[in-house]
Amino acid sequence: MKNFIKLLVISAVLVTGEVKAQMPHDAIYMGKGQICVATMYGRSTWTEYWENSLKRSNSNIGTHTTQNVMVMPAIGIAKGLNVILSLPYVWTQTSAGNLLGQKGFQDLSGWLKYRVANTHGFSVHAVVGGSVPVGNYVPDFLPMSIGLQCRTVSGRLIANYKHPQTGIYVNAHGTYSWRSNIKVDRDAYQADDRVYNTREVSVPNAYDAGLRLGVLRKGWQAELWAERTSCTHGDYIRRHDMPFPTNNMQATTVGVYGKFQPKQIGVNARFGYVTDGRNVGQSTNLMVGVLYQFKLWKNQ
Amino acid sequence: MKKYILSGKVVGIALGLMTVLASCDKTIDEPQRSAYAPASVDEKAGTWKTYILTSSSEIAVADPKAVSSPEYIAELASLKQKSASLTKEQQEAVAYWGSGAVYRWNEIARELSARYNIPPAYNAEGKYPVPDAANPLADPKFPFANPPYASRALAYLSVAQYDALVAAWNYKYKFNRAAPSKTDATITVSLPVSTIPTYPSEDAVVAAASVTILKAMFPGEVPFLEAKMKEHRESRLWAGMNVESDLVAGVDLGNAVAAKVMSRAKTDGMAAANNQALTAGMIEGAKARGLREAWVSQETPLRPPMLPNYGAVLTWNFDKATVVALRAVPPPALDSPDFKKDLEELQNIQKNQTREQARIANYWSDGAGSYTPPGHWHRTAANVSYEAKHSEVRMARTLALLGTAEMDAAIVCWDTKFYYYYPRPQQFKVKTSVGLPNFPSYTSGHSTFSAAAATVLGYIFPDQAETFNKQAQEASTSRIYGLIHYRFDCTEGLKAGTEVGKYAIARGKADGSGL
Repeated sequence: MKNFIKLLVISAVLVTGEVKAQMPHDAIYMGKGQICVATMYGRSTWTEYWENSLKRSNSNIGTHTTQNVMVMPAIGIAKGLNVILSLPYVWTQTSAGNLLGQKGFQDLSGWLKYRVANTHGFSVHAVVGGSVPVGNYVPDFLPMSIGLQCRTVSGRLIANYKHPQTGIYVNAHGTYSWRSNIKVDRDAYQADDRVYNTREVSVPNAYDAGLRLGVLRKGWQAELWAERTSCTHGDYIRRHDMPFPTNNMQATTVGVYGKFQPKQIGVNARFGYVTDGRNVGQSTNLMVGVLYQFKLWKNQ
Repeated sequence: MKKYILSGKVVGIALGLMTVLASCDKTIDEPQRSAYAPASVDEKAGTWKTYILTSSSEIAVADPKAVSSPEYIAELASLKQKSASLTKEQQEAVAYWGSGAVYRWNEIARELSARYNIPPAYNAEGKYPVPDAANPLADPKFPFANPPYASRALAYLSVAQYDALVAAWNYKYKFNRAAPSKTDATITVSLPVSTIPTYPSEDAVVAAASVTILKAMFPGEVPFLEAKMKEHRESRLWAGMNVESDLVAGVDLGNAVAAKVMSRAKTDGMAAANNQALTAGMIEGAKARGLREAWVSQETPLRPPMLPNYGAVLTWNFDKATVVALRAVPPPALDSPDFKKDLEELQNIQKNQTREQARIANYWSDGAGSYTPPGHWHRTAANVSYEAKHSEVRMARTLALLGTAEMDAAIVCWDTKFYYYYPRPQQFKVKTSVGLPNFPSYTSGHSTFSAAAATVLGYIFPDQAETFNKQAQEASTSRIYGLIHYRFDCTEGLKAGTEVGKYAIARGKADGSGL
């Protein structure tokens, strides 16, 4: 803690250079020795959900809300090589019914982002990510659980073109995530229309793809985006049953993103809306964050 | 240049990681069951007391052909051919069914219970349609295999298996036709062969009796059950264990016994168990006895309570007067210090539920989509009986004693619940971490089921009695940790369950098994 305060003081004194917060899916990098800490609040709500393919509401859930507070530092290790970390604290609630909300630290995630090629505004980036559960939360009390308790490893490729003069960019990415089996508290459960006599649950792998169109200028950024996430396989929520970690959860989300960071301190916000899905809520997501960028160490 | 070397390294590491992960499998380990020769052949089991049959010889079984007859010799030749070389699928079927006929059919019944254990959804008019046995696969599916329903399905299954096996044992030792491989040693057998005579086949008896009961209990699963039956039957030929006439005689006997058992089921009062017209009178009665605030459904729209008249269903091990005698003492008044104390306990747990409390609540919850608490205890009983290498007839006895006790527990508990009509903690703003059952609180069903089961299993497996009692206690407390029962619901449920279990023990001690 003492060191952290010292670090803050030193960084406040030493801060120089341009500011640019970044995400695991974009083409933005911290320079070597730069760090940008994003502290974000997120809120996701839904009143309708897809029970398999049936879109419905549930008067014993009302509106379901998931909120989180997350710290997400992005660190410039070398030119075109960044590390991004995140750790959210998550809590859930419903507006109706009597399901007890869950809360706690969820999963610690880390990404290594590397610019593979970069020429004439075109760039290709490779991202390797992983996550481990930090809290011992209950994974199968869905939809109240705050996470699935999987350990994950992800591989992502990003292709980006940015028009050098105007800052207009197009960005596309694809990700594949390996998800580990998990253990639940009960020693038998139903999935795939059968009973498994074990605590171990096989959670399907997942993939996602995204397309982004935006403008990135010194000090600000604005973006339209669309993402599709899906599991490779999985079962479905049976009629009037609850979700389960084995479900093939799918969602198509569209949204906007913006950032304003004239100097070392900035703000960002993201809005997303699920237009189609399976075994998920039709959520409206809002995230707002405060960005703080500083220099951790001097370039040699 | 340096840049490209670095990028090559990173991509290489990433690809390497992906390869490692892609090869890591997602299969999950479940306990494997293998075949055993029973610790005891229970050759006197043909004299054990049956539940429905007046005697083990009530249903006639034709004399088998002599082992020296041309017919039998032809059957042996056919068996020798069928069992000589097996495909992988046939080997798997032999291994699956070889771990026990009663064991597997009990497991299948639990799985069906789980698959059908979802409450109906409300429709556009805000009503909950009642599942229709004549149209079982429509929405909502029939049945809603809730705990009373599952306790009953499993009880009838176990009783039919037991009566059919007692009858089978009578004929086995009457006719004494040895296993085919003992007559013709050149027959390849894939399973352990005991000295138990094989006419009629115990596997065929169990399969036929089980399918008859389960088709009635889960009428939407007829094709599934017939496919299982066919595989079970054929597996006995592939394994070289039974000739065709063993199986034919077994199927006929199993069907006939199960038909008699089903005639009890059709008139046991289950048809009136969901009589919602009775609830107004029940609430009135409870209020006349001093209840200030009656139970109301906590669901929107209000869901009619689960099987309010299940308490009037026919019991197994005692009479109707005993159901009333076993009814718990009146619960604390809603403004009494005893009530406040136990409500406060729940309010405190809601604020600070520990992970261990959540774990216990989840482990025992056995809620929607599960095989229910009676299914949980059937699983325990079947596993313990398997570990003890029980013969088919002895495992059936264990499950019949357990199964009838579980159904009796459901009847006693439901009678109590709808007699007192006591509100759930959720009527006093308590939430739940396991989901809220839709019927009155007092007494706890989990506690009643678990104490009854632990009492019965402790009698059959005395060396494990302490373990069962601890499990029952934990199952009971789990409902407090899950925030859906007051402590007094659980304490009284345990007491009633223990008494229910004792009646099953009394029957077991008097059934002529000497066990």
